This record gives sequence, C-alpha cells and structure tokens, in this order.
Amino acid sequence: MLVPQTKNIGLPLMNLMRFKGLPILQQLHIEEQLLRTSSENWCIVNDGTNDPTVVMGVLGKPAELLEIESVLDDQVPVIRRFTGGGTVIVDHGTVFVTFICNKEAVPNLQPYPRPIMSWSSSLYSKVFQGIGDFHLRENDYVFGNHKFGGNAQSITKNRWIHHTSFLWDFNVQNMSYLKHPKRAPAYRSARSHLDFICRMKDYMPRSTFMDKTVEATETQFSLRPIQLEAIRTCLEAEFCPSSRFLTNEELEAAAVALQS
Amino acid sequence: MLCRRILLKKVWNNGRRWLLPSSSLSPVPTTADYKRHFSTHIMAAFSLPQNNQFTLKIPYMENRCKFSSNAVADLHTNGIVDVPLAQTGEGIAECELLKWFIQEGDEVEEFQPLCEVQSDKATIEITSRYKGRVAQVLHVPGNIVKVGETLLKMAVEDTQVPLVTLSNLENEKQPDTKSNKDFTGGVLSTPAVRNLAKEHGININDVQGSGKDGRVLKEDVLKYATQEGIIKDPLVTATATADLGQLFHREKSSLLESAQVSGHYEDTIVPLRGFQRTMVKTMSMAAKVPHFHYVEEIDCDALAELKASFQTNNLEPGLKFTFLPVLIKSLSMALSKYPMVNSCFNEESVEVILRGSHNIGIAMATPNGLVVPNIKNVQSLSILEITKELSRLQQLSLDNKLSPADISGGTITLSNIGAIGGKFGAPIVNLPEVAIIAMGRIQKLPRVADDGDVYSASIMTVNIGADHRVLDGAIVARFCNEWKRFIEKPELLMLHMK
Repeated sequence: MLVPQTKNIGLPLMNLMRFKGLPILQQLHIEEQLLRTSSENWCIVNDGTNDPTVVMGVLGKPAELLEIESVLDDQVPVIRRFTGGGTVIVDHGTVFVTFICNKEAVPNLQPYPRPIMSWSSSLYSKVFQGIGDFHLRENDYVFGNHKFGGNAQSITKNRWIHHTSFLWDFNVQNMSYLKHPKRAPAYRSARSHLDFICRMKDYMPRSTFMDKTVEATETQFSLRPIQLEAIRTCLEAEFCPSSRFLTNEELEAAAVALQS
Repeated sequence: MLCRRILLKKVWNNGRRWLLPSSSLSPVPTTADYKRHFSTHIMAAFSLPQNNQFTLKIPYMENRCKFSSNAVADLHTNGIVDVPLAQTGEGIAECELLKWFIQEGDEVEEFQPLCEVQSDKATIEITSRYKGRVAQVLHVPGNIVKVGETLLKMAVEDTQVPLVTLSNLENEKQPDTKSNKDFTGGVLSTPAVRNLAKEHGININDVQGSGKDGRVLKEDVLKYATQEGIIKDPLVTATATADLGQLFHREKSSLLESAQVSGHYEDTIVPLRGFQRTMVKTMSMAAKVPHFHYVEEIDCDALAELKASFQTNNLEPGLKFTFLPVLIKSLSMALSKYPMVNSCFNEESVEVILRGSHNIGIAMATPNGLVVPNIKNVQSLSILEITKELSRLQQLSLDNKLSPADISGGTITLSNIGAIGGKFGAPIVNLPEVAIIAMGRIQKLPRVADDGDVYSASIMTVNIGADHRVLDGAIVARFCNEWKRFIEKPELLMLHMK
C-alpha cells in the first residue's frame, strides 16, 4: 500500500527480523555477520530463546562470573559473545532486541557507547512512557532502581550494534548459576541478584512490548520485514562468527585455576 | 533556476535552530557587508537577492573524531609517531585490549582498523589516523590501556605532517563547540583565526581574546587590526551573521571566510547528513517520476488590493496578512473542480487515490534545509483561519518544533520561492503527491491592454510541476486557469462562500 510506505520517505531503511525461540547462539551468529558484512540497518527481535543459556561478554572470565560447579553439574551451556558487557542467563522468558546500524543511520549520533546508549534509551522511553519509572541507569534499563534489561555493544569502523536482553520473566533458580560480579554498577549497591533485578511482565504484556518497540523504531526508520530464509543465501558461508560455546574442558580448567 | 523541496520527517536533532525567511513575497533585505559572509551559511544561498543561484554547498560536517587534539604533538622528528588510544567517546577512562588486527611491520592505510578494545559494555574498533608502517606494538591483548596512552608507534612519512594539520582544520568545522581548542602557541584560537592573524601580520598572542576562556575570536583579530591601523574597513563581525543562523559555530564562518582572505582554496569534503541526506534520497526517487512543467503568468493587482484591504481592516493585532493565504484558498477552490491534481499515485496497483482533504504544503527554507509543513483541510478553512494556521506553522518552524503530523499527509505543495527571488523555477514533485507549484516573485511588468495602451501590472510567474503518469497538459492547464481566475478576480471566491 503506497500511503503508509510513502509517509516514511526520507527515513533510513531498516530491515526487521522477528524470531520466536531462536537459539541465542544462532542469533549472535546472525548479528555478528550482519554487523561485519552487511551495509544495511537491521533490527532483530527474538521472543525468547530455547534452553536456559549463560551468555558472557567477550572478556568474561567464567571463574569470576559463574558458579562453575553448578554449571557443569547441570550442563548449562555457556556462550562467550562477540560484544562487551556483562553476564546474563537467558531462556524462554528473555526478549531480545538488537539494533545494527550504519554510523550515519541516526542523524547526529556519535558512534560511541554513551551516545548510542542514550539514543536507545530514548527509543525505549517511548515504549515505556508512563510505565514504571523507566530510565537508563548507568548501562542498564531499570524500572526505579531495578534492572530489567542489560545492554551490550560493538562499534566497528563504519557500523555499530546495540543489543539488549530484556527480563520479561526469569527463573529464580537460574540466577543461582551467576556469581555476584566484581565489576558492578554503583547503583546496584551490593544487592543480591533477586533484589537487583525485576520482571518486565509485572509492567507490560510481552506482545505489547515488542509491538511498541517496533512502533517506536518506525518513527525513526522505514521498517522492512525480512524473513531469515530470504537472506540465508546472502549470509556468507565463509564468515566465522566469534561467539561460541565454551567447552566443558575450558570450564573445568577455569574451575581448577580458581581453586589453585 | 531549480527549485528544491524536501519531505522532512522527524529526524534526530539536538535542538538545532531553524530560521525562516519572511513569508512575504518581497526579497530579504541585506546589506553589502553581509554578502561576504553568506557563502558560508546555508541561508546564504537563499538570501542573496541578486544571485539566483542555489549553491547549497553547506559546510555541514559530521563530527569526525578520528583525530585527537594531540595529533600535532605526536610527531617526533624522525617520522615515528605515537598513536594513543582515542575514539572511545566521553567518560571512558580505560579499556582492555581485545585483539590486534595488525602486527609489527605491517603497512597500514588511513582509517584501517588497528585493534579492538573493550570498555564497559562496548567493544570498539580503533582505526588508524595515519598511513604508514607499524613500528612497534606496545600492548598485548588483555592489557588495560588508559585513554590517551600510546597503543603503538607508527612510521609515517614526513609529508603527512600537513595532513595532520588539515585534520585539525577539519575538526574545526564541526558544530561541536567543545573540542575546538588549539593549545599550541599559548593562546586559545582556531587555525582559521590564526591564519587570519598571520595574513594581517599580527602576532595572535598580542590580541585580547573575548571568547570563552579568553579564546581569540575572528572579530578580536579584526578589531585589533583596525586599532593598529592595519585594515581600514572592519568586516561585519560574526555577531551579525549569527543573527541569521545560529546553527553553525562562528569559527566555521571565519574558517571559510579566512580561507578566501588568505587564498587557501582547498577542497572541502562535505558528507551529506540529516536533511541533506534525506534530500538526496527523496530527490533520487522523485527524479524517476516523469515530470512536465506548465508555466503561466498571473496578474496580482487584485490580490495586492485585497491584501491591503485585509491589512487596513485588520481587527487582530499581531496578525500579518500576506499573499499566501488567498493563494492557498483559491488553490483549494481550483482543486475542488480538478480533484485529480490533489491525488496520490500508487505505482504497484496503478491506481490514483483522489485525496478528499486539501492538505496544502508550504515549502519553508530553514538553515537546515527545506521543510514542508502542510495546512490540513484547507477546503474547510476560511482565509482568516488559513492565515493563522500558516503563522502557527511558521513559528513552529522557527522554533524547530514542527510535529510529524505537521509535515506529513500533504496532498499538494506550494513553493513560494519568489520570497527569496527568481522569476520561476522547475519544481520537482513532492512524492507521493502529483503536483507542485513554484511561484516566482511578483514583478511590475508592462502589459498591453486591448486598446493597445501599455500599462503596468504586477505579474507573478508560476510553474506547475506535474507527474505525467497521472496528469496531462490539458488537466493542468484547465486547473491553472481556474486558479488564475480566482486570483485575478478574488471576488469570485464569494460565489462559493457558505
């Protein structure tokens, strides 16, 4: 239909891919490949992932961040992703939203962590307008002073990625796999996990959140829905993504190193 | 002369100011002194009354933070430079080095990624500011590197030194007011101002700075030069030009100004961003539409009388009457008779949607580019209501507060280019509309009456640009005749008064 599309003339184009239950490693692989090999803007929304998985930042040290014994005993998969940032445990209750943009996609946006974080938080401010005292606190999305969304980024020569994992819901037991991190934001004030985080489901229905996020994105971009199948052939077979599972051996070695 | 228009959507902006030329059809008054400065501002292209050229060479620069202010200090005499960790943005004190993309001995191009670091939540690629060879790598992955600390040493050719200075100049063109300090020489000023001082044989350290932190501004140099008798006629200072466009930092105008003064005619690369970039896209799309243009002259004597009458009998102070509202209302009358001209074309389904409302867009020139807010439902508005709405939209443009609703949903566009100058233009349709009308300046021209006598008439030339896939010459000609009738005989509008 001409009219709704043409009202967006002048907005940069952004491809929108929506998934449900896509495995997080696959999502990370797609994201990294799009960041490094595509020249278009992308928005990825993944409504939950399959199995509970620990996802660490690129420099995450398992010994410091995880209760390795429990992780090994329960065979919880651990991924080291290609972006910076902290550690999360994700499952079907996590909603992922990712923006991959060219440096000029957002007018006047400086391609550095803080400005990008500020831009994304203003986008989500529209989503959570009037709900739960939403704001960006240091690098996290919070309601009040409870975190419900964690962010990570990677900035390359001409592009950047900003991805967020939103705790729409979480399993209390899963949180026990994570240690209290050494590097924590000041506002955490030494609170335990459960006192520090909160669930988005107490504030907004899941589908409402995703729809509103897409709507808010549409005010700045002309969104074009794309199916993964449509781009599979374009995704280069030669690309080697860096996000990967840590092997049991690596985790065991980390546990041993910790004890010694 | 080409007339340009832009369909502006809400863009991310940091409170930039837009200014609007007077909406009346008379040219913007300027003094000869302003002329020299105008080439440096967007407004320049619009404000030169004698020059009908649209240059649109706007020195709009993205903040290129590829070079730090330490660049000059980095250079050692033997051609080896220290490359510090930079490009991480504000507030980041240190990063952990993740990996190198290069190794010692590698040849590296300017802007080639050197390494990846992590700070907090972000991994960041650090690119090279020089072309050269990696002489020595000073950190290994896992090291914590403070911002500003040397990452590696590079062997660069001496000829790159002027490049480094040029990069400082490039830095100066940003609208970012924070980082434009040049610390060498003890006195704060930009390279452009230093050039100007040098040009006049003035030692910049002798000049009293009136800017922030005592920095020496262009007008300080000029004032000093006048006082010392070095120059006779001081140029109009940047404060005058600042009245016209606060968008650009003063130093930017002095940069280009002094470039001309000192004879440094160098190429400037201007990446198109924001509205300009949008214009590239919209124009490219509009260029695919087969246009034809229809030109007509309209006698505006009756219109001038009407405007005078409105003004004399104006009961509302603060309300200014111009020609536009009557032109807009009569346009709507003509559209009622020829609805095809007020339509959108759907290429895919090969359908024309005859729009019910007459949402007439008025092109407005701002320092940022053209913006086209529209007046909704003109068919249901009186001329007085149109006047007020127009004034409201103009004020919002001035305050940079136009909402997305104000600038979307237009069905036809009027470009009052005559307010700036020109006889007529060849406008390009504002998609998805099918027609656009450029109105030239009203000029007093001699006409020949039926009895052979020559008389003077106020003539406005209009050029209607139309999408030839939807409209043909006959429809546009008849539509224009109808519109012209209402303008030349505005009393006919009363026939349709309800």
